[in-house]
Amino acid sequence: MRKYSLVMAVLLLMATWAVAKDEPKFKSIEVKHFPNAEGVELPPEFSDYLYAELRATLQKKKLADQLLGEDEVVDPADAPKSAILEGSVLEYKKGSVVKESLIGFGAGGRSLTAHIKVTRRSNNEIIVEKDIKVRAMARWDPKTLAKFLANSIAGQLKHSD
Amino acid sequence: MQTRSLLYLVVSFLLMFVALSATAEEPKPTPENTISINLVTQIQPQTFTPPVKFFVDKVIDRSANPQPMRVLRERGGVFLDKEPTEIVQQALQETLQKSNLLAADAASADYVLTVYVFHFGLGSGLGAEYYGKVDLNIVVKDKKTGASQQVTALGTSVQGAAMRKKNILKNIDADIEGALESALRNFLRGTKLRDAVAPVSDKPAAAPQARLCASGLDS
Repeated sequence: MRKYSLVMAVLLLMATWAVAKDEPKFKSIEVKHFPNAEGVELPPEFSDYLYAELRATLQKKKLADQLLGEDEVVDPADAPKSAILEGSVLEYKKGSVVKESLIGFGAGGRSLTAHIKVTRRSNNEIIVEKDIKVRAMARWDPKTLAKFLANSIAGQLKHSD
Repeated sequence: MQTRSLLYLVVSFLLMFVALSATAEEPKPTPENTISINLVTQIQPQTFTPPVKFFVDKVIDRSANPQPMRVLRERGGVFLDKEPTEIVQQALQETLQKSNLLAADAASADYVLTVYVFHFGLGSGLGAEYYGKVDLNIVVKDKKTGASQQVTALGTSVQGAAMRKKNILKNIDADIEGALESALRNFLRGTKLRDAVAPVSDKPAAAPQARLCASGLDS
């Protein structure tokens, strides 16, 4: 009898944990386009691709019930549990295939540094603010960096308080 | 003599090969490679007080795409069953109709909408992955005052990579539907539309410096 009740308690605990895990952290997240800092030369379609990738990744990681487009209205009741994600691309290095082939060990790779800021909609409280650097091979498409950056941002948001 | 005839033969084979590959590269729409875009999820627009009615006057293609119905050239091509302008008009009208925001005609409407389609279809993604992008610019014209305001709306959607033709079609369909839905939501729930439709008394007053500039007192 004691064994059964122990098993039941463990199952109940696991079910509660699973339900709690599935619940999104935010009611909504508004993603804004990331402008490029002066001197950053990225392909023109990069900004829209990063925006699309961010929305898709945050949705996939179930961080919010709703992923809002830029400048969409939010119900005032949902504002305390809603966030705004904005940022800018600070630096982009194209990399060098020759350097990468001759030296290796990560030398000559592409890299991108972005400053991100996630604020709570209701009181502008900063949830996450930091610079994130992502790297990729020089041979790869620059859009790979957008994918890596989106994943990194989603990870930061997931582990934020 | 024999060398020359051999050369002619090789050249004619080459020409035939080039002609055949050129025809093979240009895909044609068939029922197997044509997709139909229909909004599945209902979009809930923001509420306007007092209630207003919109009329979709025109949807104009500004994408400068010579083949707007072809969304993908590779892998035997992927085509839309209708022109993007027609798809956007139908989706916007249906959404407004379901929310009781659609006027029967231009005369009974409070606001007349002219939609410019800047991009409808796919953007270049990574490898076998595509992403849908719908970029609209909507001119909202107030019937009473005659004032017009431009509202931009962007929708994107990224689906996973696909290798099989069946999955490519499914993903592209979901990509474009998602992007269209997201663009329409961005327009109908956007703060720009709220500001364009807000009564004059509700509109935020211009900054003091802007008022001075407008009145010419600043100079």
